[in-house]
Parts: sequence; structure tokens; C-alpha cells
Amino acid sequence: MNGAAKSLVEVRDLTIGYGGHAVLEQLNFEVRRGEVFAILGASGSGKSTLLKHLIGLYQPIQGDVLISGASLVHSEGEERLRILRKFGVLYQSGALFGSLTTVENVRLPLDEFTELSSVAKDLIALSKLRLVGLESSATKLPADLSGGMQKRAAIARAIVMDPCLLFLDEPSAGLDPITSAGLDALIRELARGLGITFIMVTHELASIYAVADRVVMLDPKTRGIAAEGSPSWLRDHAPQSWVRQFLNREVT
Amino acid sequence: MPATHPVNSPVRWHLSVDPDGTGRVRFEGELDAQSTAAAWEALQTELAGIKAVRFEIDVRQLLCDSAGLSLLYYLSIGGMTPGANVTIIGLSAELQNLLRSFSAEDFQALQRHEPACSFFVDDFGKATSSFFCDLRQQVEFIGEVALGVMKSVFRPRLMRWKEVLRVFEVAGVNALPIVSLLTFLVGMVIAFESAQPLANLGAQVYVANLLGLVMSRELGPVMAAIMLAGRSGSAFAAELGTMKVNEELNALQTMGLSPVQFLVVQRVVAGILLTPVLTAYAMWAGVLGGIPVLLGLGFPLRMVLHQIQSSLHFGDLAEGLCKGIVFGGIVASVSCLRGIQTGEGPRAVGESTTRSVVSSIMLIILADVIFAAVTYTLRK
Repeated sequence: MNGAAKSLVEVRDLTIGYGGHAVLEQLNFEVRRGEVFAILGASGSGKSTLLKHLIGLYQPIQGDVLISGASLVHSEGEERLRILRKFGVLYQSGALFGSLTTVENVRLPLDEFTELSSVAKDLIALSKLRLVGLESSATKLPADLSGGMQKRAAIARAIVMDPCLLFLDEPSAGLDPITSAGLDALIRELARGLGITFIMVTHELASIYAVADRVVMLDPKTRGIAAEGSPSWLRDHAPQSWVRQFLNREVT
Repeated sequence: MPATHPVNSPVRWHLSVDPDGTGRVRFEGELDAQSTAAAWEALQTELAGIKAVRFEIDVRQLLCDSAGLSLLYYLSIGGMTPGANVTIIGLSAELQNLLRSFSAEDFQALQRHEPACSFFVDDFGKATSSFFCDLRQQVEFIGEVALGVMKSVFRPRLMRWKEVLRVFEVAGVNALPIVSLLTFLVGMVIAFESAQPLANLGAQVYVANLLGLVMSRELGPVMAAIMLAGRSGSAFAAELGTMKVNEELNALQTMGLSPVQFLVVQRVVAGILLTPVLTAYAMWAGVLGGIPVLLGLGFPLRMVLHQIQSSLHFGDLAEGLCKGIVFGGIVASVSCLRGIQTGEGPRAVGESTTRSVVSSIMLIILADVIFAAVTYTLRK
């Protein structure tokens, strides 16, 4: 199997920023199929901005993002829609629609993009809710769910169309350690059970050690990637001392 | 009788029934979201006509995603073959795991769940209770605002004058173009509409008198207030509502600051001060709008100005300006109240904005009726 087939996402010479001002420059990395890949960095290092470029919300200053070999940056119309349907996104707040019940939120992509019967859509939505452990909360409104439950419901919505790739923006933000650990377990389960590739942006070290196969550490000073590797390797052997200190939670 | 369907779909199935009453469905191809939708309907129709005690679903040659699994699960629970014992053959271990996440109990529970339907008496009781609760909140709020204004009079440093000036600019100065345009057009309409009936009475020259009176006593203040409610009142409600949703109001309270003193008093004072100015401007623009119509009807400018001047008294202008003060206070305070009453979630901000405009316009008209009755009595 060649490299192109192995990697699901390829980031090539990507320079991103706002209004012509570069936040991160000349980024190059690949995400392999089936792995949990984490983008790590201090606050303000451009993690969330990078994620927004990876999911096509913003146009980069230069460079390209390839998903299954297809350019997200240069695609338009139907082709772009086809690429967008390959992945799901979990936003930091969950972004569930407040006026819809949990099951209606999960069903929404099926309602909009498929011609399936109502029975089929309900069965699929409920199966995804069962996967994330929310089958008993199907008829509740998002406002009646806790923060962790909202995140899990948002994951159910993100996987309802069977995407091969899931982007997670700060999945543990605002959650207590127990709920956060539960969410980490769910991510592991979905990655192994369904073969979904995860790209997560976070600065929660506990989550990274629990779920991530590989990590890129962003460097706000050089506006590039400081180090790349498995979390434990970076913690012990990263070339830069500040990366090791960051991953060991040491105050510099 | 064996049958194979359909030919053009990525999925095909072979259906047969053995003499011993065992039905067999052998799938080939791929069941994804698109093909499942078509296959579901076709299979349902075909299986409805078949009587079998057992069914074997052979999926060894089948690839499927969640949509396909939903069809297989529905078949497995006898959804299309009631009473028959259904077995699935050749499902991979991964798909078997996924199939376990489907549950007939969850599905039945969802079907049983019906949205709560409330009775009329319940709704009526809740609406009445909510009305009185709202009335009480309004009275409390007016008291709190009045107290805040009084405090600011005695301790001027409590009044954030920069904020007052900002509101004055945003809600007043920036509103001048739209107020002028609309009242100018309304003035023209009044002149046009009244010209013919008064001409029938031989009193067309009194269009100028009518225009002056209507714009100064009625339409000037009402138009200015309605535009303030639609343009700035809604902005007050949305601004305070968003602050409530973002817990900024809670932050003020925990710092020991009153949200009313810190955010509302400035807006109410600015509303009270700016509305008479907007009203005067609206009166002037409305009269100015009627003049071209009168000139077009053949009346000389000097005559038109003389008629307007002779019909208008200080009392008429004072009435209009007094209305402006009251309407300004109503719009600013009601809009701020609706903003502070904002509930949870993003939808709540939209609701409070709508409520602020509706309540403001309703109260403006109510206050206008009271003004009309009082001034009529005083003039008698």
C-alpha cells in the first residue's frame, strides 16, 4: 500500500491566517486512516484556526488540504459537497439545535441528504444514540441535557452519515474529569469499532495521553510545527525542551 | 417462485420460497443510504405478498453501512414479514457489533412518545398568570429605573454619560435620515389624501392647517416613537438579551452592581432626551413633505407658510414634544425590560426582540389614546 492510500488527510504547505496576516506558515503533515490524531498547542497558537481551515470553513492564504486525495481548498459545487460529506465535525459547544429533540438533531442529516423511510431514519438515529449511551434521552431537548451528554449527542449527529473522518474541537472543554474520561473512552471505541479517523484539537493532556496515536505540537513563535510523534515519545524525547515541559505540565 | 430485483441498483436480491415454507432473500452488492431507500420500498411490497414461517437473509455478498444495517435489522425483527422467524446469514463480526446498537425497544419508545398537548384551560391559566407576573415585573422595573434616575441626579458620577452620548448618537443622530425620509413621505401622503375631500368642501387651502396640526400633535411624535421602537428599541433588547445569555448580567450582580443602574438608566435617559429632538425633526420633515404637494395644487409658498403658522399654537408643539418625552421613556424602558427578561438560549434573544417591538408599539398607541383624551378634555 502506498503513502497516498494510507493517509486520509494530507496538509501541504498550508499557510493560514486572517486578513493576509499569517498565524501558521508552511504546515505539512499527514493523518493516516484509522488513527486518532491530535493538534496540540498553547492558547493562541492557532489550533482552532487550523481546524477551521481543515474543515473548509476558511480559505488558506496558500497551500492545500487533501481529504482522500481530493483538494478541499480548490473544490467547488458538487465535488466540494462530496468531500464535506466524508467527514463530521464536533464543535466545542456541541452546536445542537435547541428547538429540536436529541433524536431529531441526530436525524437531521438523514432528513436532509437521504430518501430513506422515516422508520429507517429513526432506527439509524436511535442506534447512534445507543452507541453514545443516550438512547434514553432521545426525546429530550438539548437544554435538558448536561454538557457531557450534549457532546455525546453531537458525536452521534456527526457519525450518523457514517463519515470516515471526524474532527473534534476541544471535545473535553468544560467537562468534569469523569465525563471527560467517558468521552475519551467513547472516542477510542468509535475509532476501533467503526474505524473512524479522528482529528482533534485540544490542550487537555489527559485526553491526549488517553486517546491520541499521534500528535503535532504547534509553535506560536515559529508559526509552524514544533514536533510530531506519539504523545509519550514527545513527552520524553521531543527535541525542544519547552515541548517536553508542556507535555509534563512543568512550569517554565 | 424465484425473482431477482432490481437490475440498475447497486444492490440486487434474489427472493425465493421453498415448498416447506422457508423464504430466502440473498443480497448482492452494496446497501448504502441511496440504494437502501429504494430497496426498502421494493422489498416491503414484495415480501407483503409472501407467506412464509421462516426467512433466511443471506448477506455474504453484501456490503453495507448504517442505512443498510437499518434495513437488515428491520427485516430481522420481522418488520416486513410479521410472524416469521428471521435469521441473517453471513454478517461480518464488525457489522454484527454494529447491528447490536439497533434496538426495537428504543424504536417503540420513540413511537410511543407524543409531544405533550396542553388543554385550553391550562393555556388560559398560564397566559393569565404570565400576564399578571409580567405586569408586576413592569411595575417593579419602572420603580427600579425611576430610583436609578433619581440616584443619578443626586450622585451624577453614577450616570455613565459616555454611554448616554453613545446611545444618543446610535439611536438618535443615526436615525435622522430614516426618520426624515419616512415622515417626509407621510407628509406628502396626508397632503394628497386630504386635498380632494377638502376641495369638495371648498376648503383646499386648509390642507396646510391640517398638515401642521397632524404632524405636530399626532404623527410627528408617533412616527418618531415607532421608528425608535423598531430601530433602537429592538437593538436595546437584543443587546441586553445577549448579555443575559452570556451571563454578563450575572457578572454585574456578583460584582455588586445593579444591571438596571449600570445598563438601563443610561438608555432610558438617552431615550427620554433624544425622542423630543427626533419628534421635532419628524414634525418639520412631515410639514416639509406636504409643501411640494400644496405648491403643486397651485397655492403660493407664502400662503402655505402663513396657513401653517396661523394654525399652529405653542400648545400643539408642546403636546407633540411632551408625547415624545413619554414615548421615548416607554420605548427605552420596555425594550430594556424585554432584554433583561430574556430566557435561555439563542432563540430567547429573538423572542425578546420581537416582544420589545410589539410591547413598545402597543404602549405607544395606548399612551397616545390617553394623551388624546386628556388634551381633548383640557381644550374644552
